Amino acid sequence: MNAPNVDSSNVHGRAIFFDGLTTARHDVVIELAPRTLRVHGADGRALAEWPYDELETRSSPDDVLRLGRARDAVLARLEITDPQLAAAIDEQSAPVDRTGRIERRLRRKVIFWSCAATASLILVAVVGMPLIATELAPLVPYAVERKLGAAIDAQTRVGLDEGNRSGAPLDCGSAEKEQAGRVAFEKLIRQLETAAGLPLPIKATIVRKPEANAITLPGGHIYVFQGLVGEARMPDELAGIIAHEFGHVAHRDGTRTIMQGAGVALMFGMLLGDFVGGGAVVVAAKTLLRTSYSRDVEAAADGYAVVLMTKIGGDPRALAAILSRIGGNTHAGPKILADHPEIRDRVIAIEAMASSAPRRPLLDQREWAALKAICAEE
Amino acid sequence: MTTFDAADPAAQATQSALAGVARFVGRGKTFWRLLSSGGVLLLFTLGIYRFWLTTDIRRYLWSNTELAGDSFEYSGTAYELLLGFLIALAALLPLYVVFFLLTLAPGNTWSLLSLLVLIFLGQYAVYRARRYRLTRTIYRGVRFHQTGSALLYSVCAVLWWALIILSAGLAYPFAQSQLEHFKMRHTFFGNLPGRFEGSGWHLLLRGLPLWACTVVPFAIGTVAVILAIDWSALSTSSEPAVHTVGIERGGPAGIDLIVAVTGAWLLASFALLYPIFQAILLRWWVSGLRFGNVAVKSRLRIARVFGVYAQFFGYATLFTAVVGTLVGVGAFGLSKIAGGVSSMRGEIVTTVLSLGAYAAIALGYWTIYQATVKLGVWRCVIESLEISNSAVLEQVAAAGEAASPVGEGLADALNMGGI
Repeated sequence: MNAPNVDSSNVHGRAIFFDGLTTARHDVVIELAPRTLRVHGADGRALAEWPYDELETRSSPDDVLRLGRARDAVLARLEITDPQLAAAIDEQSAPVDRTGRIERRLRRKVIFWSCAATASLILVAVVGMPLIATELAPLVPYAVERKLGAAIDAQTRVGLDEGNRSGAPLDCGSAEKEQAGRVAFEKLIRQLETAAGLPLPIKATIVRKPEANAITLPGGHIYVFQGLVGEARMPDELAGIIAHEFGHVAHRDGTRTIMQGAGVALMFGMLLGDFVGGGAVVVAAKTLLRTSYSRDVEAAADGYAVVLMTKIGGDPRALAAILSRIGGNTHAGPKILADHPEIRDRVIAIEAMASSAPRRPLLDQREWAALKAICAEE
Repeated sequence: MTTFDAADPAAQATQSALAGVARFVGRGKTFWRLLSSGGVLLLFTLGIYRFWLTTDIRRYLWSNTELAGDSFEYSGTAYELLLGFLIALAALLPLYVVFFLLTLAPGNTWSLLSLLVLIFLGQYAVYRARRYRLTRTIYRGVRFHQTGSALLYSVCAVLWWALIILSAGLAYPFAQSQLEHFKMRHTFFGNLPGRFEGSGWHLLLRGLPLWACTVVPFAIGTVAVILAIDWSALSTSSEPAVHTVGIERGGPAGIDLIVAVTGAWLLASFALLYPIFQAILLRWWVSGLRFGNVAVKSRLRIARVFGVYAQFFGYATLFTAVVGTLVGVGAFGLSKIAGGVSSMRGEIVTTVLSLGAYAAIALGYWTIYQATVKLGVWRCVIESLEISNSAVLEQVAAAGEAASPVGEGLADALNMGGI
């Protein structure tokens, strides 16, 4: 075996070399020349000569320094197990990152900027999305909103019907003995609808749900829960709540909520990836964002309700009365307590807006009694 | 003159003794540290950090895996994964908008169609992601690569999965064998072509007892429930006039009991049998791998896989206890504080905190799972390998090019992530 042709004034040592052309393993002597790293085969032949500034650290086990040549299509690799030799190369070459210090510095930059990007995204979701949705919702054509509403309505009905074990249909007013109640309800709705003059027809129904609640979907679908009809002491109270829901329709709050939810879902859903149950987080985030701006939206709908009730000759204060009684729990989402400051504020605001215009009864005694019994059980 | 003369004849002797031996040399502690810091960063970057964490994990696993004395190298970078993700995002976003508009159209056909498209895309992504990973896997200065049409693979995979569902799982071994045939037929290490020799019948025989323990009781339970329901009563009760008739022949207790027993059995058998299933599948899969004349055999023992899961269970229990205490104390403290504050703000604070807690707990379990099960199974499989004709691995010539990371990005965006 010939001695490798090494200039003995330079630092040198043993290593393993793969030339990137075949998997053959070469036991080599490497020589740390002034500007380059020379690789000598056992037979003395020069196998490679790499400039120090083109060296690149490749991933390897802890006790091995694995080097490659940067931007080289051939995957030649040099493996050094001797820690002293590795340190000597590290000292010569700037890009060699034996201790991982360069990688760590780069990584800190990545971490800083991804945290900054995250903070910025959250800011957009909390502040920007509601603004964008508020600006865009009025631009959505009513035809599109009605289609959207139909799709959501189908899902909502399934959700509402869950746990309905009585076997009776979800909607009240379809049975023979419920007819009178239905006529009264439609009379109430027609008065509101005529006065409101909304650009899309309202589809209001009373459903067999025990909660004192009412929900509005995009496209003019209003669901009044049976529990709310039970709570109402006079037609104006029920009309007040429904007028509030009309406000949501007029302000296109449903569409805005959907747009906002879709925007947030799109932003975070794809980013989150599959490490966490991303879907659950998105749903929770949407709920959170919805509740965090609902205060102004509710106040606006209250204002609409007061105007509408005054227009049809009803008592606008009836809304305040029923709200303070049922604790403002008219919307899905986190339960809000009855002595909640928000509810108190709403009641005060309604009282302040209400004028003492001339009144007329919205329904007569018989009609109101029939409406109260619209969900007649056996 | 300085000479570092580390390589001595003894080292070369061990080299030849290592021929045909696979080892995993990584320390578990390094991996734990990598995962736990990565998990925290995932939380604070809402997942953006995952490209770096994934790359770190692969680098660790690859470079600590040794075959015949030489370790593998993962040459992929986080920037490539990020790029793949961005490309996938650009391609998928318009598609999602189209799907959203289609769901507004009447009828279920369109939403069904979009679901089908997503399933196809998922399988397409799986194949392309495998291609990326293989071309970033380097051994002795030579990379792996994969040819073949991802489109064809996705069609095959979807058809096979449909068959698996139709056959109540009995087609699974054949699907696995055929799909693995497809993948390995198009896999190369340098110029050394891969192939797969595992037989579906063999896997079926090994897995049949497991199938009998899970799918059969499930089928019996389902049939029992169907028989217990009085269908004639049910069909009349859908007419509004008669809705008080009982729909159950055996009384309400009958069906609930069947459902409860079947459910309990399924849960228990799944927990107990899944490690066995995984061990059987991995042993069968590894033992079918071939590269040229190089054959692999795995002697993976079921007990070892059980040990890995026991470790996971132990850590997870400990974590649950600690987190349970913390959440309890935290919720108590929060109710004390938030009780006095204006409640809308209190509600937001509570929601934000519980969201964070949820994500942190989920990441905690994920970390424990990765550090115990993923690493444990990887280690077990590597250490169970017996490689014959490994001398061939010293004369392989380089071939193939680095592939684009689009597949990885698609798989990531579609939540079809692999390793």
